[in-house]
Amino acid sequence: MAEIAFRHVTKRYGRTLAVDDASFTVADNEFFCFFGPPLSGKSTILRLILGLEKPDVGEVLIDGRVVNAVSPAARNIAMVFQNLALFPHMTAAGNIRFPLVERGVPELQIRARMADAAEKLHITHILHKFPGQLSGGERQRVAIARALVRDPAAYLMDDPISALDARLREETRVELKRIQREAGRTLIYVTHDQEEAMSVADRMAILEHGAIRQIGTPSQIYDHPATAYVARFLGSPMMNILTATRQGYSVSAAGAAIQLAAPDLTGIASLGLRPEDLRVSPWAGGTGSPATVIEVEPLGGHTVVTLEAGGTRLRAMLRGQPDIRVSAQVALTCDPARVHYFGDSGETLRPSHQGGSE
Amino acid sequence: MSAIRLENLVKRFGAFTALKTMDLAVDDGEFMALLGPSGCGKSTTMNMIAGMERPSEGRILFGDRDMAGVAMGQRGVGFVFQNYAIFTHMSVRQNLSYGLRMGGRPKAEVAQRTGAIADLLQLGDLLDRPAAGLSVNILQRVAIGRSAVMEPAIFLLDEPLSNVDAAFRAVMRTELKQLQRQFRQTMVYVTHDQLEAMTMADRIAVMDHGVLQQVGRPLEIYNDPANLFVARFIGSPGMNLLAGLPLETAAGPVVDLGAIGHSPVLAPAQAAAARRARGAVVYGFRPEQVATVPPGHGMAMPVSFVERIGARTILHLGHGAQGAKAVFENDVGLSPGSMAHLAPIPAAIRLFDAETGVALRGT
Repeated sequence: MAEIAFRHVTKRYGRTLAVDDASFTVADNEFFCFFGPPLSGKSTILRLILGLEKPDVGEVLIDGRVVNAVSPAARNIAMVFQNLALFPHMTAAGNIRFPLVERGVPELQIRARMADAAEKLHITHILHKFPGQLSGGERQRVAIARALVRDPAAYLMDDPISALDARLREETRVELKRIQREAGRTLIYVTHDQEEAMSVADRMAILEHGAIRQIGTPSQIYDHPATAYVARFLGSPMMNILTATRQGYSVSAAGAAIQLAAPDLTGIASLGLRPEDLRVSPWAGGTGSPATVIEVEPLGGHTVVTLEAGGTRLRAMLRGQPDIRVSAQVALTCDPARVHYFGDSGETLRPSHQGGSE
Repeated sequence: MSAIRLENLVKRFGAFTALKTMDLAVDDGEFMALLGPSGCGKSTTMNMIAGMERPSEGRILFGDRDMAGVAMGQRGVGFVFQNYAIFTHMSVRQNLSYGLRMGGRPKAEVAQRTGAIADLLQLGDLLDRPAAGLSVNILQRVAIGRSAVMEPAIFLLDEPLSNVDAAFRAVMRTELKQLQRQFRQTMVYVTHDQLEAMTMADRIAVMDHGVLQQVGRPLEIYNDPANLFVARFIGSPGMNLLAGLPLETAAGPVVDLGAIGHSPVLAPAQAAAARRARGAVVYGFRPEQVATVPPGHGMAMPVSFVERIGARTILHLGHGAQGAKAVFENDVGLSPGSMAHLAPIPAAIRLFDAETGVALRGT
């Protein structure tokens, strides 16, 4: 059982603002993900939760209790680091049981918990092996099992699967999610991989320069980003954001190549188009924005096309394997309902009648 | 002139054979990716092309010229490695122009070519910055520029993007492709990332355990993998591969998939492939090439997990050897525990011999 919260936490290292007035509440049993570029404050937030750092301002709470002065050991939170830190001279079993032996847990209980964790992680058959004999994925599971047997109130994981290759990451992230559900514990997770974050998180927080820019479910954030920064940060290829100007009843972008009926918004500075919301067809004059194909990247299931329209580059993601050639002239269209609009400082503009819930 | 031909190339390290009899022809001006997991022999192959390793057997030809005994420095190839080797005490400009200056090119030419490559790689604003303080991303760009500025006829790149971050990697993929389009070098690009190979290469040579598995254009390899290894390795997620037995039914030829039931009736080409099978087959289809159908009209598979990634939904279905994935561009309204009724697109089904793993083709 652990609900973990920050109330207006700020942390500086010298003159660097690592965490800037962050407030959030991670619910009990939630899989919560912090996502942001390098140095955006992700790892500092984990260190503050663990108790390895103290906030300069604000409060860290566990289950409603302020723990600013509570030692890391007394917080009962288990951490899985990016570099796995398994003991090379111990078998997988020795590594997993180590934290329990240290705590003087009775042998029978150690065996039961280890068997349980090993089964959940499908590593029973490799318990007798040494880390050097294991693959990267197996070592990762052993490290997670070691955190699991401690039966902590919450787990923190700092980019735990970044060292694995792409195929193994796809499998392991699903396993992690399953393990978290079965273990029924709060899991706070840091990653730099947006696909991984969206896959595993119940909710996530997007960080920029130590400040939380948005908190929500992955779908909420993807579909309704609070700012242009957040919008670009989730999604691959990233959202196309184009400078836009309003002229009477229309909004134009990309050197007037893109013209849209103006929405009921004031202060439009730019517009955002998700690559998967763009459609491309052979240029026949008339409908759509004229564009030139710069690059075609076939991925099998879909195709990413880089286009130039009115001197601006943008990317479209098309389904399947369309026959599109470099330097072809095409017509670019999109569903007006799928266009995002941003103001001067990058804030998402919403029609006034929708209310401002963010 | 700068075509590359590998003939019966073998490389052994003591008792270990890193590369087993490889034949490969890279055309002049072609972008060839050597793709495979670690230990597949791709870097060994590259090192032999570069002249860093000597073949145990076989020949390497540049055009018609046998490279045996030609030293690395005399081969006229440019390289970029995973770990960029940048002179940190020099500026970006000095790094980029290093090779040209060492080669004694006239000052005006050095300035002109350095400027052109800097513009192409978006390093124009950083030319006078010391290399020491630059990010990993930018340093790798400088490393690419420093080799490219020499305009080598053959350009070898070994995992050049594996240390840069994901967003930057997408940008660099496009830049590398455009660099190659502009200079028309023969490019050999080593990677373990199928996405990089698919998006940049004219052709891909897929390797595993020192053996060349398949050579072809990216979509050829994606659509018609030669064997189970290639089918699994290409695509994200990889191809679904279900164990089955060909079966003639009143409705037509199908594949019996055990607990999942029968596959939909096979299209003529797939039926012809199934008839060539000597026993058990592997029934393959891409996660993207699946449609939902009414109950009773396709394969019934329990949904074990649902990933929603932006606009994409990945359904995890069944488990173990009878597990599969399906990717949809919208939310199909299925949740874990429910039953999915799915049918692969008939023309997209691929069959493999269960014993040898080799693709069964209809013709």
